[in-house]
Amino acid sequence: MMGIVMKDVRKAYEIVLPEFSKYLTFVLISVISVVSAMAQTQVSPKAGSDVSEFISRANLYVRELETLKKTLTKLSKHSTAEEISAYKNELLKIVLAKRKGLARGNIFTRRSERLIRLIIASQYKGRDRALLKKELAEAENASVPVKVNAVYPEASELLEMPPTLLLALPELPKQIRYRFVGTHLLLVDRENHLIIDYMPKALP
Amino acid sequence: MIRNYIYVLGLIICIGGFSASIPAIAQQSSAKVAVPRITLPMIEGSIKLAVFGDAGRGSKDQVDLGRVMADYREAFPFDTVLLTGDNIYGKDTPADMKLKFEDPYKTLLNKDVKFYASLGNHDTSNQRFYAPFNMNGEEYYRLNRKDVSFYALNSNYLDKKQLDWLNGELGKDKNGWRIAFFHHPPYSSGERHGSDESVRDVLHPFFVKNGFDVVFTGHDHFYERVKPQDGITYFVAGAAGKIRKGDLKERSPITAAGFDSDLSFMLVEIAGDDLHFQVISKAGNTVDSGTIKRRD
Repeated sequence: MMGIVMKDVRKAYEIVLPEFSKYLTFVLISVISVVSAMAQTQVSPKAGSDVSEFISRANLYVRELETLKKTLTKLSKHSTAEEISAYKNELLKIVLAKRKGLARGNIFTRRSERLIRLIIASQYKGRDRALLKKELAEAENASVPVKVNAVYPEASELLEMPPTLLLALPELPKQIRYRFVGTHLLLVDRENHLIIDYMPKALP
Repeated sequence: MIRNYIYVLGLIICIGGFSASIPAIAQQSSAKVAVPRITLPMIEGSIKLAVFGDAGRGSKDQVDLGRVMADYREAFPFDTVLLTGDNIYGKDTPADMKLKFEDPYKTLLNKDVKFYASLGNHDTSNQRFYAPFNMNGEEYYRLNRKDVSFYALNSNYLDKKQLDWLNGELGKDKNGWRIAFFHHPPYSSGERHGSDESVRDVLHPFFVKNGFDVVFTGHDHFYERVKPQDGITYFVAGAAGKIRKGDLKERSPITAAGFDSDLSFMLVEIAGDDLHFQVISKAGNTVDSGTIKRRD
C-alpha cells in the first residue's frame, strides 16, 4: 500500500519539479514515512520498556522453577493420578521455600500494571465491560485467596481468559497464566497453582 | 342435546390425548434401556466414537449415563471417546479421579476404549499427564484417525502459542476431515453461558479458512446442534454429568436441534465424506440424529 502511494507521489513530482529537487523531495518523503512508521510501532502497547522488566521477571521465575523441577522425578506423559498429585505437592513445597517473603509487585512492575490496565480498559468498554464483570462475579472462584504465595484452590473454577484480551496482553512464558478472580488479575503457576503475583482491580 | 354429546366427546378426546402425552415424557426420563436402537449406518471400517462433556461429578446420574454408554457400545462398538472438558469437577486427588472418571466409565475402560480429553474451566493443567486422558502431556494436540484430524484445543487459554501451534499443525495436515473439540462453545443458545463471543472471534474465522467441518464443545449443560455457521456445524455436548433443565433458549435462531431435559451423549460415525451422529438420552432414547457432508 505504502509502495503504491510512493509511486503516485513520485509520478506527481515528475511532472512538476526539476530533476534534482524531484529526487531530494522523494527521499525526504521516504524518510518522513519511515520515521512515522517507527513512531507508530513504539506506541504499540506490547512493545517497549513498559513490559520488558515485567517479562524478564516472569522469565526469571520460570528459570528458577525449571531448576527446582530438576530435583524432582519428572512426570511421564502417562502418569497415574497418584504420581501427578505427589509431583504437584512436592513442587509446591520447594517453590514456596524458595519464594518465602516475596510480596505483591515481585513480577508486575508499576509501568506494566499501568499498561495492562490500559489494554484491559481499551478491550472492554461499555456493555462488554459490564458483561465481563458479571461473568467474573458469577464465577465459582470467590474463595480464592488473592495474595502472593497463596495456592489457587483446586476446587475453584479457573475462569477462561477471553482470547481476544489474552492476545492483546504481554505474552507470558507458558508456565505462567493470567487469571481473573473478581476484578483482580492474577499470575498463576499452571502446574503448582501458586499465585505468584497479582494486580488489584485490573478491570476498571 | 346432540351438541352437548359432541362437546363431552370432544372433552374426552382432549383429556385422553393430554394424559397420553404425559406417560410418554415420564417414560423418557425413567425408562431403562432395553435394547439400544442404533440409527447410524454401521459401515465396516468406519470411525466410531462417542462425544460428551461436563461429566466429572461422580454423581449417580453420571454413573447411570456411563452404564447407558456401555450398553450402546455393545451395539455400536466405538473405540474412542472425545471429552469436551470439565472432566473432573472440584478436587482432582487420586480418589476424585477414581470417583469422577474411572468408576463411571469402568466398563468402557476395561474394553480398551480410549478417552481423549480437552480441558474445561473446572479442570487443571496437570490432568494433561493423566494417562487415561491420553493427552500426552499437552494441553492441546492433534489426534489422527484414518482420514480425520481431531484437534483438541484448550479454550481456557487460547494464547498466541496455541494459535501458532494450530497454524503449524494445519500446515502439515493432509487429512480430509478437520474436526475440533474443546470446552467453550463459540455458538450456544444457553441462558446460563451461551455463545462465547471472544472464543468465536478468534477461532471461527480460523476454522472457516482452514476447512473445518464440525466442532464439538461443552460448557452449557445440555445438548444442542447449531445451524451451520459458514458451513461449520457446532455441537454443544455438555450434558453428561448434570442437566441444566430448560436452559436452552426456546426461540434461539441458531438452534437446529436441542435437548435440555435429561443427560445425553453423542455417538458419531465417520465414513468417507459423511459424518453420521446419533444423540442418546439417559433413558436410552434417540433425541437427535443426522448426517453432515464434508465440505469440498
